[in-house]
Amino acid sequence: MERVLTDFVKALRNANVRVSPAETIDAMSVINDVGYDDKVLLKRTLSIVLPKTPEEKQKFSECFDNFFTDEIKPVEENQSASDNANPQEGKSDLANTLLEGSQAEIMLAIADAAEESEIREIKYFTQRSVFTRRILEQMGVGKLEDEIMQMGAQNDGGEPSELEQELRNQLTGLRERVSNYVQQQFLLHGDVSGEQLREQVFKSMNMAQIDRSYMQEVHSLVRRMAKKLANMHSRRKKNYRRGKLDIRKTLRDNWKNQGVLFNLSWTYKKVDRPKILVVCDVSGSVGAYARFMLMFMFSLTEVVSKLRAFVFSSNLGEVTQDFKDQSLEPAIEKALQKHGGGSTDYGQALSEFVSLCLDDIDKKTTVVILGDARNNFGPEKSHLMKLIFERAKQVYWLNPEGKYRWNTGDSVMTNYSAYCTKVFQCGSIDQLERVIATLLKTAI
Amino acid sequence: MNEGPEKLIKEITEGFSKHGYICSEQISTAVYLASQLEKPILIEGPPGVGKTELANTAALHFNKEMIRLQCYEGLDESKALYEWRYGKQLLYTQILKEQMQEVLEGAKGLKESLARLVDFEDIFFSEDFLETRPLLQALTTEDGAVLLIDEVDKADEEFEALLLEILSEFQISIPELGVKKAVVKPLVMLTSNNSREIGDALKRRCLHLYIPFPDAKLERQIVHARVPEIADSLQKQLVNFVQGIRELDLKKHPAISETIDWAKTLILLNSEELDAKLATDTLNVLLKHQQDIEVVAKEVPRLISDSMGTPDGKSIN
Repeated sequence: MERVLTDFVKALRNANVRVSPAETIDAMSVINDVGYDDKVLLKRTLSIVLPKTPEEKQKFSECFDNFFTDEIKPVEENQSASDNANPQEGKSDLANTLLEGSQAEIMLAIADAAEESEIREIKYFTQRSVFTRRILEQMGVGKLEDEIMQMGAQNDGGEPSELEQELRNQLTGLRERVSNYVQQQFLLHGDVSGEQLREQVFKSMNMAQIDRSYMQEVHSLVRRMAKKLANMHSRRKKNYRRGKLDIRKTLRDNWKNQGVLFNLSWTYKKVDRPKILVVCDVSGSVGAYARFMLMFMFSLTEVVSKLRAFVFSSNLGEVTQDFKDQSLEPAIEKALQKHGGGSTDYGQALSEFVSLCLDDIDKKTTVVILGDARNNFGPEKSHLMKLIFERAKQVYWLNPEGKYRWNTGDSVMTNYSAYCTKVFQCGSIDQLERVIATLLKTAI
Repeated sequence: MNEGPEKLIKEITEGFSKHGYICSEQISTAVYLASQLEKPILIEGPPGVGKTELANTAALHFNKEMIRLQCYEGLDESKALYEWRYGKQLLYTQILKEQMQEVLEGAKGLKESLARLVDFEDIFFSEDFLETRPLLQALTTEDGAVLLIDEVDKADEEFEALLLEILSEFQISIPELGVKKAVVKPLVMLTSNNSREIGDALKRRCLHLYIPFPDAKLERQIVHARVPEIADSLQKQLVNFVQGIRELDLKKHPAISETIDWAKTLILLNSEELDAKLATDTLNVLLKHQQDIEVVAKEVPRLISDSMGTPDGKSIN
């Protein structure tokens, strides 16, 4: 029975629930106590031992239901009525197995055939029917079907014989069992939700080319990334700048010196989490990217508390509160509707940004600008960038366009990049992740 | 495999309900497993669903001492584990100074004095001078204890690392005294409001219990247990109303503790039936944000009519 558990753990891991060997051992000792008989109790107990977050519990529940459907069924021996049917000579092997064999033998036959059909190779949801068919053929279902057909032809018109009826029943049962078996194997070997594959594709794809119908998936991806980054980011570092004298600690530490205060201990101050200001271009020229940039901004506001978000095309507006109050879709729609689509005017946007929150920029602040720096040949006002750059701790510019297109046409990237701590190309989620990772590394 | 677990789990459920804590099967199973496997439980869930109360009740049920450690930012080992009573140490050395002199009397040279002193060396670092803090206390309690480490997510990450030794080995190393092992392994419960992701290492060592908002049936049982004087019809209405509120998009949803408070409020006001005016007037017991109150106030008539109507029939029977 241990095999069942390890297989189940494998299926869980496949479904993105992280299970460590230590937890598997826990599960094992729990099962020794509770047993496999009561499925509800088993599920309840395992759900306490194995998954460790609410999301994982959800996945666990689905996985459990899928996995244990078949496992428990073969125990019910309601099909053993076939004992009465006399073995008929001249039948195919499969027919004999079905009529005479025990449940275990049939399962064994299925497993053998599955092995032959290389079930381990199953990867995608859609392959299940192919593999079911392949296994059935391997077991010789074709021949059995012929036999049944023949029997039907022999007593044409009349009542189907008992044997024929029995074989038909068994065949239906077999089909069901094989398809259950394949389902279970798919959970073990396949990419259960297709998630890994899709994520890979999304990550490397240019953000402008991802269809809007995948917003949900991409959002969960971006959100996870933002959360990971924010976790790293929120780790407060101790700062050893001296604060007050820590009298207790000093006395304690110097006890060994006969109470002579030899080594002094100080309370230390903690560094506050840095502030972040994000400015996002949502004008027509970056229209395709804007959605994803906003999505990222939204996810960041969810996880970083001291963050202010701005969007602009020609006029700049703050969207921090909207992002906090609303859910993703309406928040993004609102931001785009209010500010998006127009022609870009970086000069105007910068001067509004400066008048709005220059006072808020101090040596702890990180300013992130998302945009393509295409200014429609308007005044670029790079002296404002200089002003921001001088006050802020750091200024990052993320440009969704490929590097080869910078400074072509109306792009004035060079003029702005002079006043940035660093500029990045950032067209896909992969790139975005890399950029933010470097950003946070240097931010503290 | 025996019929044991089912029965024991049931016993826990019943025992807890005697102390006024109505728990779902999930919860009693978790408590059972924790005592069976001798592993800590990490309890998560929205605020006010009875995480802390669970530990209190467990202490009552198992008839053990309840030791609570409230976590906060900056909590360190001298407040959680143990501390030397340096004040007492200082005082005693002053008082014992003369005795020392006597001990050393007649000793010739440094070497001999030292040899004499060695015999008394550990006096000042013995258990008499050890101030036990909650974690150490939980290990040394003779009859075992229920240790509640409340709101682990509020403490620093370094503190989590400190917990690892205690939670997996049930022991504490004190450099001066050696390793202290638990007399009786305590039942440990950790709670978290998820304001910060708990580290993997800690999670792996714990069982994980998530307590969600209760469904209507369970919530009615809880209200009944906690506020027994409330009339049946009012209680039904009230629970359905709260369940309705939880479906709205709010900053903070009312939890069980708020439902109970509200039930008590209504009794205090001598009300027998919930109507729109009463509900609107007392919303501030349920909701803690002005914005939320405004949102719900608009929905009150609908919620009232819903709470009288059909949906409860389904969920309760």
